Amino acid sequence: MASLETMDLKSFITNSVYGVFDTMLSMPIEASDQDCQQTQDGKRIVGSVGFAGKVLGNVSIHVNEDFARLITAAMLGMELDEIEGDEEIHDVIGELSNMVGGDIKSRLCDKDLQCELSIPSITSGSDFRTETKGWERHERFVFQNGVNVGLVEVFVKADR
Amino acid sequence: MALKVLTVDDSKTIRMIVKKAFKPYECELFEAENGQQGLEVAKKENPGLIVLDITMPVMNGTQMLEKLKGDPEMKDTPVIMLTAESGKENVLEIVKMGVTDYMVKPFKGEQLIDRVTKILTLEEKAAAAGEDTSKRYFSMDGDIQILTLPPKVDRPVSVEIEGHLKNKIEAMVNSGIQKIILALHRVTGTNVSLIKLIITIIQECQKADIQVRVVGTPAIRDELKEFQETSEITIDLSMDEAKGQF
Repeated sequence: MASLETMDLKSFITNSVYGVFDTMLSMPIEASDQDCQQTQDGKRIVGSVGFAGKVLGNVSIHVNEDFARLITAAMLGMELDEIEGDEEIHDVIGELSNMVGGDIKSRLCDKDLQCELSIPSITSGSDFRTETKGWERHERFVFQNGVNVGLVEVFVKADR
Repeated sequence: MALKVLTVDDSKTIRMIVKKAFKPYECELFEAENGQQGLEVAKKENPGLIVLDITMPVMNGTQMLEKLKGDPEMKDTPVIMLTAESGKENVLEIVKMGVTDYMVKPFKGEQLIDRVTKILTLEEKAAAAGEDTSKRYFSMDGDIQILTLPPKVDRPVSVEIEGHLKNKIEAMVNSGIQKIILALHRVTGTNVSLIKLIITIIQECQKADIQVRVVGTPAIRDELKEFQETSEITIDLSMDEAKGQF
């Protein structure tokens, strides 16, 4: 079984995010050295999936409302003003987190760290903060498309 | 007869992507949000293909597949499974379940169609197979080309019209037609696709030295004034008025 401490989790995350944005959205993104404050300001949407088994973890994607709308339009092949409402946006961000989370989960399983994936959940609002404790690894990947910045966070720990 | 395709996924996004992928083909699409609904629809509609997600609430794709395989009437229905998990064990498990094929998310609609055509024959819709859809929008009135936009101009419609535009302008230039009326009287509301399309049409015609008049209702005229890109465009309120302005 691979060790969580030495695993190149960051590469799993970046490869997965690049792959999903390229295939599903045809949207070029690049790693950003900005802090992720932009994803924390104003209304934001967080899509999350959890996994549990030999490892426990959570993968979440944070984007602000404008970026979420752009992602939704790109994923569904429509114009921004054709988006019907929050339900559509939430479904897309949830599916995005499912794809990124599913890919990371698969890489963990290939390292003999079998686990099962949860269905995605969405949190949206303009004034909330998440705090997590007790994880062995925490990785963040800040990315951008033009002026829009997104954040992917992954928390993992072994189930002892 | 149209191929019946059932897409079973708790994500509306994925169901929309699957539906869009099959749109150019003679297919009738059915949707279900989980395995339980999927079984009900499958029993009722007897689909020729099921595109099945794995991770779903209520009844997941694996459980639905087991039930399909246990039903003498549905056990041979081709099933393509969609999974967000590409791990070796997951893939082996899917293959062992007896699915026809599987796809790992993320995937493009074209990739799904590629897989489907390996197991089934898809018939292109008449329009996609070569019907001249430009007739829906372009017509002639004497020596004036009329381009009538439909009530709703969304992105696919806009792409379709833009696709015809170059050839139409070329044909107009070759036959000496120098006037076009862009008729918006059927359009029921503005959106970004419509605005972009209007601008494109006007710019392309101007490049080819073709005179353009735009006809619309008072409501459309007022709405177009609200957009910076179209605020300066003169809107004639009838075809006769537009013809008189040439």
